[in-house]
Amino acid sequence: MGLITPLFLLGFFTLALPWWLHRLETQATEREKFSTTRFLEASKKRVHVRRQLKFLLLMALRMAFLALLALAFARPILFDAPEALLGAEDVHHVIVVDTSLSMRGDGKFAAAQAEAQSVLDGMGADDVASLYRGSGSVRRVAAPSADADELSALIATLSPDTGHLDLGAMVNSLDTLIEKNPGNVMLHVISDFQQSAAAARFADLIPDVIANRPLTLDLRQVSATPPANAEVEAVAVESRASVLASVHVWNQEQAAREYTLSLSVNGEQVQEQKVSNSGDGIFSVRFPEVTFAEGDNRVDVSLSPADGLRDDDLRHAVFNNAPPAPVLLLTEDPASRAVTYISAALATAPRGYQVEAVSLEDFDARVMQRYPWLVIEDIGALTGGLADAVRDYVNGGGSVFAGSGARAAGLSTLPLFDVALRGPQTGSDGRVLHLGITRVDASHPVLRKSNDWGNINARVLRPALTAEDRVLVAQNADNPVLIERRIGNGRVLLFTAALDNSSSDLPVKPLFVSLMAEVAQYLSNEQLLVREQVVDSYLQLTQTGGASGQVVDPDGENLLSLQDTTRAQDVLLNKTGYYQVFTPGGEVLVAVNADPRESDPTPMNAQALQNWQSSVNSAAVNASTTQVVDPLSREAEPDAIEIWRIFLILLAIGVLAESLLGNRYLNLKTGSL
Amino acid sequence: MAAAPKANTPFHLLDPKVLASVANLELVAKAVVEGFVIGLHRSPKFGFSQEFVEYRAYGEGDDPRYIDWNVFARTGKTFIKRFLGETNSHLMLMLDASASMGFGSRGLSKLQVGKVLAASLAYMSTRQHDAVGLIVFADDILEYRPPTSRSGSLQAVMHALDKVQANQGTALSKPMSRFQERIKRRGLVAVISDFYCDTEELLENVRPLAMQGQDVILFHLLDPAELAPDIKESTLYEDMETGHAIEVSPAFMKKEYRERIRAHIGAIEHAARGMNADHVLVNTGEPLERALHSYLTFREKRG
Repeated sequence: MGLITPLFLLGFFTLALPWWLHRLETQATEREKFSTTRFLEASKKRVHVRRQLKFLLLMALRMAFLALLALAFARPILFDAPEALLGAEDVHHVIVVDTSLSMRGDGKFAAAQAEAQSVLDGMGADDVASLYRGSGSVRRVAAPSADADELSALIATLSPDTGHLDLGAMVNSLDTLIEKNPGNVMLHVISDFQQSAAAARFADLIPDVIANRPLTLDLRQVSATPPANAEVEAVAVESRASVLASVHVWNQEQAAREYTLSLSVNGEQVQEQKVSNSGDGIFSVRFPEVTFAEGDNRVDVSLSPADGLRDDDLRHAVFNNAPPAPVLLLTEDPASRAVTYISAALATAPRGYQVEAVSLEDFDARVMQRYPWLVIEDIGALTGGLADAVRDYVNGGGSVFAGSGARAAGLSTLPLFDVALRGPQTGSDGRVLHLGITRVDASHPVLRKSNDWGNINARVLRPALTAEDRVLVAQNADNPVLIERRIGNGRVLLFTAALDNSSSDLPVKPLFVSLMAEVAQYLSNEQLLVREQVVDSYLQLTQTGGASGQVVDPDGENLLSLQDTTRAQDVLLNKTGYYQVFTPGGEVLVAVNADPRESDPTPMNAQALQNWQSSVNSAAVNASTTQVVDPLSREAEPDAIEIWRIFLILLAIGVLAESLLGNRYLNLKTGSL
Repeated sequence: MAAAPKANTPFHLLDPKVLASVANLELVAKAVVEGFVIGLHRSPKFGFSQEFVEYRAYGEGDDPRYIDWNVFARTGKTFIKRFLGETNSHLMLMLDASASMGFGSRGLSKLQVGKVLAASLAYMSTRQHDAVGLIVFADDILEYRPPTSRSGSLQAVMHALDKVQANQGTALSKPMSRFQERIKRRGLVAVISDFYCDTEELLENVRPLAMQGQDVILFHLLDPAELAPDIKESTLYEDMETGHAIEVSPAFMKKEYRERIRAHIGAIEHAARGMNADHVLVNTGEPLERALHSYLTFREKRG
């Protein structure tokens, strides 16, 4: 560290001023003599002490402020920042090496390291260089340095990881990093420049900082010819019994190749299949009759022979082989159509539900407590003790999805809701109207994925709405179709038409399947965890049903500290394999695979790279020229500094004035007798 | 019986501010007493005539000038003549010179007022041929002059009063015990103090005097700022005797302090009454007329 104007350090003498003023204040007679204090009470002693402390603090602040001012005038500089000493002709080389997953293939990374070394070899005597690695994010490896040997050693330590490089995001990050470094900057980007890494907009590839300084872009592509690659793109379990694997192949050669796919379940290889394929494209392989253990299963599909990029030859997936959750359905007729529709819809939900239809005649209300939610085919069938039992169940936290069938149509008061109930809307000729849906509350969790209500027609009953009711779907202001009401700790979803297709066509529409799946998830309060993610994504712990828990990475390391287990909201998934998530609700697996965009070896075309480079360089030349040609801008610079100094002087005067005034105000008022 | 002064008397001479401007204490005392007496109605008791009344035996401290040598020649015993208005008593002035007496808010300390009051009482008593003594005390006895009516005793008392300075703390025990040791004869005792002491201490020290037959009058001197302080802001007060400092609020001084000082005055007054002593509260911001008037009333009652 050094000082450009060390004489200003004389300003430290001004530190004596607040100290002297403070002494004056503390030595001044603050006490008033009184004959005796035996009848007095120190009612304000604390205030007095606080004033003194405040005064001391004020003195310390003033002295610190004056010291900072003196230092500011002295203009300290840091000599350990080599770029600060760069001359007009010297260059700061910013070397960015792509360390994304794709660089692992076919000796790309060794080539990248060689390119980085060649940049160092070409440095001028007074040039400096800094080193960055680019993957999921851009991180600085070496601060600007003129020591080529040190930088070479750091380049040798670099290795590709499993992340994905987005060139637009990289340029954006470099904007911030380069902005801090003065002088001429030459940006060397060493990468395989995959097409999948290109920015969404070409403008995103232009650094904003070129408007402020000379910047030269040097793009170094390490592999112009795309290597062949094959990736296991997807693995899915079908019907709980077979596994379907999709393989994406990038191969310029048209000759057929033979691939072997192996299926492992929970670490044990169970099946293997050979497939012959030629050229680019996707092919699928089905592994039939696979047996899974109960609960989460680790399903791995691997591809051989291995190619240059081995990380995408293995795909991880998780299959939850949990038994279908039971759902209680109260009905007057277990063989009714409504039961069939509801059972079918719930059985095909992702979670899988097993409907247990119980006749109201045989129903024992005590069994309700075993179920988190239940379906009532016709709310009008709830009478007497049964209605009370269901109300108690909801009050206690249970949830109900109910339809309004023929029994409800004959009532004037709606059970559970205890509001007046009117019959369906009729036309001017007295005939009952079947109306379409005009309003859907898409913000409700049950309706977020249901967007096909326009095709639904229904003849609905019309309960009188209260302030507690939330209308989710309606035909018009008077005709609610789906209502939610919270009762105690539970909630009731009421469909105001029958759950068979007698008064509504909803049960026979595809919408009914997805609606019932959402209703089931909502009323059972289940949060579905995304079981398959890509590297560098975040696992939302709130999806596990709570922010508390522990996450173990594929290497068996705990990712959360004891403190974080109760407060962490998400966890970065930066490794491929299986993450174990332990929550109060149990253990779940999350499969993490390489980013599929890294598997595509197709490079950006040469013209695009050329355009990018020339766009940046021409813009930089313009900026540089403007700076050289415009002499006024250079002459204006010292004025700006002088203004800054004047400002500092004014600030110093202000501080001194404040010091005097502050003492006046803080002086202990002794009063008078 | 004493009466209020006439309106046309030079009563302003009793104003403490006026008195403070006069350096000569004897002159001040004379001015006070003369000014005060002019305002009084003539009274057989309070007059200062030279009309002979009776003889009485000579006692220690009596002025030998008043010995009737003719009687001595005939009887061989010393008798002195008594005149009308002469009470022929002993007055012991006890002046508190503690540090707290140095307090004064209007350019005049309580000690200064106390000195003027003592000088005035001494002057008045001398005119009545009373023997006057003086004890100046603080936490110890600073000055002691036994009661005497000899020629020049007044000047001696005035001189002793003149050089009194405020000292340290207040302690009544020593001057009182010294008084009891030296003075056996019944007389008057005027204690001039701000009485910043415990009531129990006062009772303990003054009661033996009353038991001894002394007639005690307590002149309780307080400054207006002690009686009714009025401050606008919180103030850090330093005790003049202990040096202890306390910051007090205006609200406290306006209410609680006044209640406390009133209670203290009441306690002193109650204690005085309990031992058959008179208590006179002297506001040092007001003329001394009331104090002198009280003294004459006291003198009349006990005379």
